[in-house]
Amino acid sequence: MRNFLIRGVAAGAIALLSLTACSQRSEEGTTSAGTTEAAKGFPADSLIGVALPAKTSENWVLAGDLFTDGLKEAGFQSDVQYAGSSTTVADQQSQIQAMVTKGAKVIVIGATDAAQLSTQVEAAKAAGASVIAYDRLIKNTQGVDFYVAYDNFKVGQLQGQALLDGMKAKKPEGPYTIELFSGSSDDNNSAVFFDGAMSVLKPQIDNGTLVVGSGQTDIKQTAIDAWKPENAQRRMDSLLTSTYTSKTLDGVLSPNDTLARAILTSIKGAGKPLPIVTGQDSEVESIKSIMAGEQYSTINKDTRNLVKQTIQMVKDLQAGKQPEINDTKSYDNGVKVVPSYLLEPQIVTKDNAAEAYANDPNLAPLTK
Amino acid sequence: MSRVKELQKSLFGGTTSNARQFGMIFTLVAIVLLFEILTNGLTLNPGNLISLVSQYSYILILAIGMLMVIVAGHIDLSVGSIAAFVGIVVAKVMQDYSLPWFVAILVGLAVGALIGAWQGFWVAYVGVPAFIVTLAGMMLFRGGNQFIGNANTIPVPEGFRVIGAGFLPEIGPDTGYNNPTLLLGLVACVAIVIREWRGRRTRREMGADVAPMWISVIRVAVPLVVVVFATLQFAGGRVGTSFPVSGIILAVLVVIYSFITRNTAGGRHIYAVGGNARAAELSGVKLKRVNFMVMMNMSILAALAGMIFVARSAASGPQDGIGWELDAIAAVFIGGAAVSGGLGTISGSIVGGLVMAVLNNGLQLLGVGSDRVQIIKGLVLLLAVAFDVYNKKQGRFSVIESLMRPFRRDTPAPASPAEAEQERGKSPVAG
Repeated sequence: MRNFLIRGVAAGAIALLSLTACSQRSEEGTTSAGTTEAAKGFPADSLIGVALPAKTSENWVLAGDLFTDGLKEAGFQSDVQYAGSSTTVADQQSQIQAMVTKGAKVIVIGATDAAQLSTQVEAAKAAGASVIAYDRLIKNTQGVDFYVAYDNFKVGQLQGQALLDGMKAKKPEGPYTIELFSGSSDDNNSAVFFDGAMSVLKPQIDNGTLVVGSGQTDIKQTAIDAWKPENAQRRMDSLLTSTYTSKTLDGVLSPNDTLARAILTSIKGAGKPLPIVTGQDSEVESIKSIMAGEQYSTINKDTRNLVKQTIQMVKDLQAGKQPEINDTKSYDNGVKVVPSYLLEPQIVTKDNAAEAYANDPNLAPLTK
Repeated sequence: MSRVKELQKSLFGGTTSNARQFGMIFTLVAIVLLFEILTNGLTLNPGNLISLVSQYSYILILAIGMLMVIVAGHIDLSVGSIAAFVGIVVAKVMQDYSLPWFVAILVGLAVGALIGAWQGFWVAYVGVPAFIVTLAGMMLFRGGNQFIGNANTIPVPEGFRVIGAGFLPEIGPDTGYNNPTLLLGLVACVAIVIREWRGRRTRREMGADVAPMWISVIRVAVPLVVVVFATLQFAGGRVGTSFPVSGIILAVLVVIYSFITRNTAGGRHIYAVGGNARAAELSGVKLKRVNFMVMMNMSILAALAGMIFVARSAASGPQDGIGWELDAIAAVFIGGAAVSGGLGTISGSIVGGLVMAVLNNGLQLLGVGSDRVQIIKGLVLLLAVAFDVYNKKQGRFSVIESLMRPFRRDTPAPASPAEAEQERGKSPVAG
C-alpha cells in the first residue's frame, strides 16, 4: 500500500512538472498600459463592452439601446449589460470581469456604485483594455482613462435657477417655502447636482427669500437612497405630515424626473396644491407631466449626444488617436484627475419644450 | 461480481465517496463543459477561473454556514445585512481610527460573533423561530449599515484588499507558472492520495471489504487530473495573478468545516437536531447549545464574507449584501440539503454554489442580460430540487435518499448486492 501512495504522489508531481514547461502566461498589461497602449489602436471589429446600472430609469434603457445600435453601426461587436435590480454592485462587477475575459478592447462603464469597481477596472487595465466612465466618474482607481458626461454642476445650477424662476412666475413676492431632495449618496453625481443647485439657492436661503420648511438642508438628510422613487415618496409623505399640515409648500428641488414624479404623487395623494418641482433626464412621463402643468422643469441631457460622444471616443481609440477632451482638471477621482469630455445641459420648461425636443422622435409628439 | 457492479458499489455504496456529491459534481461538470463549448473555451481560461473564484468565494463561505443552519432545521435571512453591517464597521474603524487592516479584520469577526450571539440567544434560549429572528436581524443590521455609513460608500486601504482581491506572491524560480499555486496544487494532490490510502487501511483494519485496487486508482486518478488541470490554469494566469487569496480562505474553511460536520461529535449533533430535535435532546444532545452555536457560527462567517466582498470592491457601500442570503440558501438546496433539516453536506453545498456561479458566469460571458440570468437561475433551483424529489418518489436513485444511508447504520458497510439492486431502482419499495 505504501507503494501505491508513493506511485500516486510521483505521478502527480511528474504531471505537474512536465506541464510546467509549456506555460502560456502572458505578460500583457504588466508594462504600464494607459493611453500609450491605446495609441496603438486595435482591430475595427473588436469587442466593446458596455456595463450599465440596473434598469431603474428610462435613460439607462435608452442608452443601452443606443450603444447596441451605435456600436454595431460603427462596425464593432458590442456586449451591453445592465446590472440586476437587486444585487446591482456584485452583478456589475462580474459583468465587467466577463467583458475583460472576453477580450473587450474598450469597456464603457455607467457605474452603479462608483467607488466599488476598482478591482475590475484595474483587471481591465491589466488586460490591456481602455476604460471610459460614462455619466458617473469611477472613484479611487488609476484604471479609468476617460470620463464622458454632461456638466453636472451646471445641471444643478440650472435646476436651482429654474426653481427660483418658477416660483417667482407663480407668486412674485417671497418668502418661498421649499424642500430639497438629492440623489443616492453612492452616486458620485448626487453631490455635484446638489452643490450646483445650492450655489444658486444658498444666497437666497441666507437672505431669507427662501425658507426650507423642514430645516433639512444637509445632503445626508436630503439623499434618496438608490434613486428609488418609493424612497422619495416616503420622504415627501413624512415631510407633508411633519411640516405642511398648515404651511404651503412653494417649491421642491428634485434631482431627477423619476423622483420628481414620486414627489408629485405624494403631494397629490395628500391633496395639497402642487408646488414647483424641478427634474432632470427628460423622461417621457415627466414631459407629459410638464405639458400637463404639473412638473415644472426638467433637464435635457440628450442621451443620444452623450452616447454619440462616447462612441466617437471608442472610434478614436480604435484608430489609435487621442480622443477629444475638454476638461483636464475638474474630475479628481481620489487618486487621479480623469481627462473628461463634458457636454452642455439644457433646461426645459413647458415654454421651450417643443423647441428643445424637436429632434427627438419619442418626445417631440408629446410637446405638441 | 462484474466490474460495472463493483464500480457502482464503490462509487454509490462505498464509505468514502458520497453519492449525493457525485450527482451534483456530474451536473457541474456538464455545465462547465457546456459553457466551455458555448463560449469557445473562455470558461476554463485562467483569467476567467481566477475571477470566478474571487467573485463567488464570499457566497460559498456563506453557503458553508448556511448549510449548518439549514441542517439544524433553521434558516438565516440576515446574512446579507450582517455582512453589510460588518463591512461598514470595518471600513469605518480603518478610516476613522486608522487601525491596521489585520486588527480591523479581528474587529469585524468580533462584531460578527457578537451579532451571532445576539441572534443565537433569541433562537436557542428564548425560542423565537430563526426565520423571525433573522428577518428582524435583516432589517436591524441593514438599518445599522445605513446608520453608520450614512448610506455613503467608504473606501478601504490597500492592505485590507488582500483578503478579497489579493493573489499569492511570485516567488522562487521562473517556471512560467505561479509557484505558490503549483505548491498548493501539489499539496492537494498528495492529500487526495493519502486520503484514499488511509481509507483503504482503515477498512482493512476493520475487516471490511477493500475495494479492488483498480477502483482506488480511478478514485484517485480522476480528482488528480482535475486538480492538476485546475492548478495549471490557476497558476498560468497573467503574471501577478494566482489562485486568489479569498479562494484559499474558502478552501481552508471547507476542509475545517467538512471535518467538523463529518467527524466530530459536535458536528454530528447538528444533524441529529435537524433530523429529530426531540429525539436528539432525549439522547443527550444539548439542543440549545447546538442551536446557539450554529446561529453564531453563521454570523461569524457572514462577517468574514462581508469583509471579503468589501476588500474586493475596495469600498463598503450601502448596497452590499443585498440578496446574498438567497444566493447562499439556493446553493445549499441545489447542493442537496433537505428543507426539513437533517440532511446535507458542506461539499454538496459548495458544488451547488459552484453550479450557480458557473451558470451565472457562463451566461454573462455569452452576453445574456441579468434579467434572463435571474430567470434561468430560478428555474435551475426549482428543477434541481424537483428532479431529486421526483427520482426519490419513483424509487430510482435519489441523491437525497443516498444521503440517508449513513444514518441507517452504525458502521457504514459496503452495500450488499440486494441493496445495490434497490439503488438501481429494481425494487419500488426502496426510498
